[in-house]
Amino acid sequence: MASNGKDSRTSHGIVKVIVRAAVTLLMVTVLNFTLFRVLPGDATSLLLGGARAAVSNEQIEAQRRNWGLDKPIFPNQLLDYMQATARGDLGYSFKFRGQRVSDLLLERLPATIALVGVAQIIAILCGVMLGIYAGWRRGGVIDNVATSVALALYSTPAFWLGMVSVVIFSTALAWFPAYGAYSPGVSTEFLDRIVDYLRHLVLPASTVALGLIGQYVLVARAAMSDVVSEDYMVTARAKGLTSGQMLMRHGFRNAMLPVVTLVTLNLGYVVAGAITVESVFAWPGVGGLTVEALNARDYPVLQGVFLLLGASIVVANLIADLAYGILDPRVKQ
Amino acid sequence: MTELIAESRRRGRRLAIIDFLGRLLERGGAWVGVAALTFFLVLAAVPGLLVGPLETAATATGDFLAAPDGQHLLGTDEAGRDVLNLVVHGTRISLTIALMSTLISLILGTTVGITSGYFGGRIDTWLMRITDFFFIVPPFVLALVIAPVFVEVLGRGREILGFRTSLFVILVVIGLTSWSFVARIIRSQTLSLGQRSFVDRARVAGSSDASIMVRHILPNLVPQIAANGALVVAGAIYTETALSFIGLGDPLQPSWGTLLSLAQRAGAASAGAWWYLGAPGVCVLTVALGFVLLGNALDDTFNPRRRVIP
Repeated sequence: MASNGKDSRTSHGIVKVIVRAAVTLLMVTVLNFTLFRVLPGDATSLLLGGARAAVSNEQIEAQRRNWGLDKPIFPNQLLDYMQATARGDLGYSFKFRGQRVSDLLLERLPATIALVGVAQIIAILCGVMLGIYAGWRRGGVIDNVATSVALALYSTPAFWLGMVSVVIFSTALAWFPAYGAYSPGVSTEFLDRIVDYLRHLVLPASTVALGLIGQYVLVARAAMSDVVSEDYMVTARAKGLTSGQMLMRHGFRNAMLPVVTLVTLNLGYVVAGAITVESVFAWPGVGGLTVEALNARDYPVLQGVFLLLGASIVVANLIADLAYGILDPRVKQ
Repeated sequence: MTELIAESRRRGRRLAIIDFLGRLLERGGAWVGVAALTFFLVLAAVPGLLVGPLETAATATGDFLAAPDGQHLLGTDEAGRDVLNLVVHGTRISLTIALMSTLISLILGTTVGITSGYFGGRIDTWLMRITDFFFIVPPFVLALVIAPVFVEVLGRGREILGFRTSLFVILVVIGLTSWSFVARIIRSQTLSLGQRSFVDRARVAGSSDASIMVRHILPNLVPQIAANGALVVAGAIYTETALSFIGLGDPLQPSWGTLLSLAQRAGAASAGAWWYLGAPGVCVLTVALGFVLLGNALDDTFNPRRRVIP
């Protein structure tokens, strides 16, 4: 991608990648700022709320000065906004009166990280392995089944699979709980709580994983099929390597490059993808917060979520670009 | 003489189209895609004829969350409405949003791609910077913050071009945010087409830039636009479903995503009402898969190098 410098330009490539990430984050911030200014009704009437009738013009002016709203929108207000964002000050929630948006996000973040982390591990273990095998034995029964299922999974909204899994594994079979992260009244014993948490994690994490697996199978399979038809595989066969040796020494390592890129990119995208799934399972993460904020029109929280999602996507892109440079010796000088 | 040439050219074109359709339909995927899409397009065209007008809580005839039986083939929802009725009417909403937003993003993506590839230089650099942003940030994430603000600005509860505000906004926002992928492909195609001699010939003959782009380059891009258009529709269905599910839809014009959202709020999953959440989900899955298969088949047919990989 970006780091395709041919000679001694690797460091130049890294600078370019970092600049692009910074520009993207800047655009997210500017979009946040602009959208909020487009909203009907100005910030003062929001701040003073229902008490507006009893508020004098002087009080309104004082508030406007206090919050810097008397300054021109561009550049002063924009710069103030960007400075505040850079400091980590994302404003206050409308819905949860008086709570900082940054505190709300930080409070919900661990649950989301646990969810998407476990889901990624499941998806890598199942999806990538299956895809590699399908590409290695192309045209076989497993390949045909895996490819069809992967294509179907790829076209299915993950949250719907979550709803279906609730019907099957929670309502009908009663194997796993369907909502939340803890059961009420479970003993305070540490081990019991961990087991309880994990039981609650099973369905949401498998759902997010299913959303990823389809893509992983398809990409890993395509990568492996490309490698299988390479000349060096014929050479390896001619040298007398066994199938397993060929797979491990030549096939696997070369097919890993696009897969690693995809998995890394998904570190960023999966947080957004988990929003709907969290909402199905009432998982106490950022996704649940997003849906609450959306339905309460809690714009500061929505902006915070947008910034968080933007940042995670940008960082994942950055890591993927850098990892690509490290993993592929051809990209290096 | 000229008539003869014109006639043979016309016949040549017809033969090319027949040949193309033949090669397209050799692929099993294309059949599945075309069959699924025809079925749903018929549903979307005449929902009233098939299941009568959209049921409301007032006109509902069934019990609450009743399982499928002879009278209600797909059961009923929490207000006693017939799920089959809701799903068939939802087809029209979902497909209209998906197709209209795809139209917007194809127009945007093609315009940006051709302009960028044709002019190159600074225009290209800036347009591609913007495209990169939309390429990195997915439509769902952008729509999440843009859509509620647009709804607020336009005013809730109105009707715009026959759509309730929130549906209109979803449609426009998906269109405005999912063009980057098309723009990139069109740009790279334009770059290689721009090198071809017919472009130079047109320029020497005195054609303006606009005329070269529209009359000489655009017709050559139709295959890419068609193949990627099918994939954009699949993406749009997906995004619309997710956005409606988290509460941006409109219960008065329920799409499949809105039905899933209503099912979720009614606790259909924990009540075991599989028909209520199953029906719209299967529809989304079938249509999205249909467009993906069709897009892949088109891509394979147009692009011989990719023929092996499904």
